[in-house]
Amino acid sequence: MDFSDILASSIHDIKNSLSLILNNLDELIGDPKNRIRDPRQARLLQHEAQRANSNLIQLLTLYKLGNAQLVVRISEYNLEDFLDEVIAANQAVCQALGLELTHNCGPDLSGYFDSELIRSVLDNAIGNARRYAKSRILLSADREDDCLVIRVEDDGAGFPARLIGESQSIMQPPIDPDNPARTQLGHYFAAQIAALHETRDRQGRIQLKNAHRLPGGCFELWLP
Amino acid sequence: MSADFLSKTYLVVDDFSDMRAVVRSILRSLGVTQVDQARDGKDAIDHMQQKRYDVVLCDYNLGVGKNGQQVLEEARYRQLIGVDTIFVMITAENTRDMVMGAVEFAPDSYLAKPFTKELLQTRLTKVFERKGDLKKVNKALMAKDYRGAIAELDRLLATKPKNLAELLKLKADACMAANRHDEALAIYEEVLGTREIAWARIGVGKVQFHKKDYAQAKETFTQLIEQDHNLILAYDWLAKTQTALHEFAEAEQTLQNAAKLSPRGLHRQQLLGDLALSNGNTGEAETAYQRAVSLAKHSVLNHPALFAGLAKSKSSNNKHAEALKVIGEIGKTFADSDQAHFYASTATAVVKGNQGDTEGAKQAMQAAEQAMRNLGDQRQNPKLALEMAKTYAGLGEKEKAAALLHQAIANNHDEDEFLTEIVQVCRAADLDYDAQKAIREIQQDVIKTNNNGVRLIRQGEFDAAIKLLREATEEMPANKTINLNTAKAIIMKMEKTGATTEDILAVRHYIDRVQALAPDDWRLADIMIRLGQLAASRN
Repeated sequence: MDFSDILASSIHDIKNSLSLILNNLDELIGDPKNRIRDPRQARLLQHEAQRANSNLIQLLTLYKLGNAQLVVRISEYNLEDFLDEVIAANQAVCQALGLELTHNCGPDLSGYFDSELIRSVLDNAIGNARRYAKSRILLSADREDDCLVIRVEDDGAGFPARLIGESQSIMQPPIDPDNPARTQLGHYFAAQIAALHETRDRQGRIQLKNAHRLPGGCFELWLP
Repeated sequence: MSADFLSKTYLVVDDFSDMRAVVRSILRSLGVTQVDQARDGKDAIDHMQQKRYDVVLCDYNLGVGKNGQQVLEEARYRQLIGVDTIFVMITAENTRDMVMGAVEFAPDSYLAKPFTKELLQTRLTKVFERKGDLKKVNKALMAKDYRGAIAELDRLLATKPKNLAELLKLKADACMAANRHDEALAIYEEVLGTREIAWARIGVGKVQFHKKDYAQAKETFTQLIEQDHNLILAYDWLAKTQTALHEFAEAEQTLQNAAKLSPRGLHRQQLLGDLALSNGNTGEAETAYQRAVSLAKHSVLNHPALFAGLAKSKSSNNKHAEALKVIGEIGKTFADSDQAHFYASTATAVVKGNQGDTEGAKQAMQAAEQAMRNLGDQRQNPKLALEMAKTYAGLGEKEKAAALLHQAIANNHDEDEFLTEIVQVCRAADLDYDAQKAIREIQQDVIKTNNNGVRLIRQGEFDAAIKLLREATEEMPANKTINLNTAKAIIMKMEKTGATTEDILAVRHYIDRVQALAPDDWRLADIMIRLGQLAASRN
């Protein structure tokens, strides 16, 4: 048995556990007769369990990437359908936290990407935005400069100034001790995945900025 | 959610009871009432035998026994689920890698764990919608009516749908299955015109392969692999191309690389075993067959030929006792079937021959001949003829082997992959039979007969054409092309001069023959549709 088999089998078990935790929490929160004094606690648990799951996927993906085992399967997808699913996967936790999660995307926009990989990048970005948003998270997809741009925005305080800018700076694994490592790992992961999307002359990238459509942070994924 | 959605029946398959409970409670919370549960692959199959489900939610990892993919394969293979059934594979991580390549056994959707009820609802709604849109296409594909499927796909494509890319891919697949290579190529090139996309590039290679432009095809697949070392499908096609070019050692190496990346493909391991054995790499052959046998253990695709291959490769490695034990497994694994007898007998003959037990080998060969006779119509199966010829050749009965191969060539004069296998057998067994020359001569004969038939039809001489083709079918009773052309000639005559019961029955007879040999032959649907129209016109 090689390590990736061991990893795969452990992940299978961990995912079963996470499924149980998440769905039981979902039922608990949805049950008006539940006796949790502070429902916010249950919601935070749900939020953290989802983050644990995103991190797990990130780790496995980065492991595969490091071992040249990552299969990137780029196809054409309709963005509205795709974002509908991303929202469906994250809606419950956002609602529980009192956040409005919506998307802004025309019905005819399509783009080329690996849906599983981009899905995990977006799940992670939404997980991040959940921590900083006041009341809203907005997903959007547009075609700009002949690229597909997917944005995850929130109405929080925005990214700190040193994170603003191009993705090149985050192509190195995170080492900055002042910044929460998981946020940085997330950006590192996103930049890696974006870069796997390339055409003959262009490569995907991420960019962080503030106050695009909403006043807070704006995570941008640029895919050629 | 629409009432249509809620009235459907669901089967949840997972070996972990808490997970089944989770999925069931999600379904309940969506208002679904009819949910059954199965705890493993066998239980799932039992459930599907008892009842038709609209939706199957199946975990890939089911512990001991069948995995989710094998459940899907068996359900589709035995038609326990219909074209309208939605099969969703639930995976812990991205298990798409494990099942790539088996296009006809792909699930309708993959769902990664953990998933929320909102995601399941969104996904199911969309899959229902898509299945609804593709209902006519899927029906036509099931009936191998590719023309109908392509026409329906064209209608859908004209509406500029959201899933344009998916429909284009489906249409290209249907065109390939219908042998309409130029139309498929046009689609691949259209897609590639916008952007480099792996499935379309592989498609271009497949068209090159089918047009026998093997050098180009090899170039295409090699480049694909250079760009993406993990693209399994490109390896499989490259190996196929190398085999067609008679580069057997290279083909073996390519499959070896693919098997390293994706060791769970049953068909790939079997091919690798075959190639390695005829290349004389007996150690590699044994490893590949060992894998194939264990992969097939819980699979509906299990076959006595796998055991026979393992036994023969073990025997080549001087492990005769183990080989005989493997042969013993054939009887235990497969209910008393003549095919199992046949493979057990030929494998025994090989092992005994290797042991120097001439008398034992002879007896085994007699048993194989008897099993062959008992097989009746299936006797014409080219795989069996090849196995028999290989065994004769291995035992030094070269004349018998050559006679069998000659007949096999006549019956399959235009099946290039099969003809390559014959060349391979002759090479490996050092037969004094020039297969390539025989193939050329037989092909010329058949083509001449065919051309004469076509010429007579054009001249309106239907009876003469039919007589000529009928005589050819007597000589080559298992030649699909000749049988189909004879059927077609009779149909054209009826279309011109009116249908008779006698002629309809004659056509039916030729169709039956071909169906017994190759139920998937792309030419059947067209002939059956035309026959159906003629039969209807008489009523």
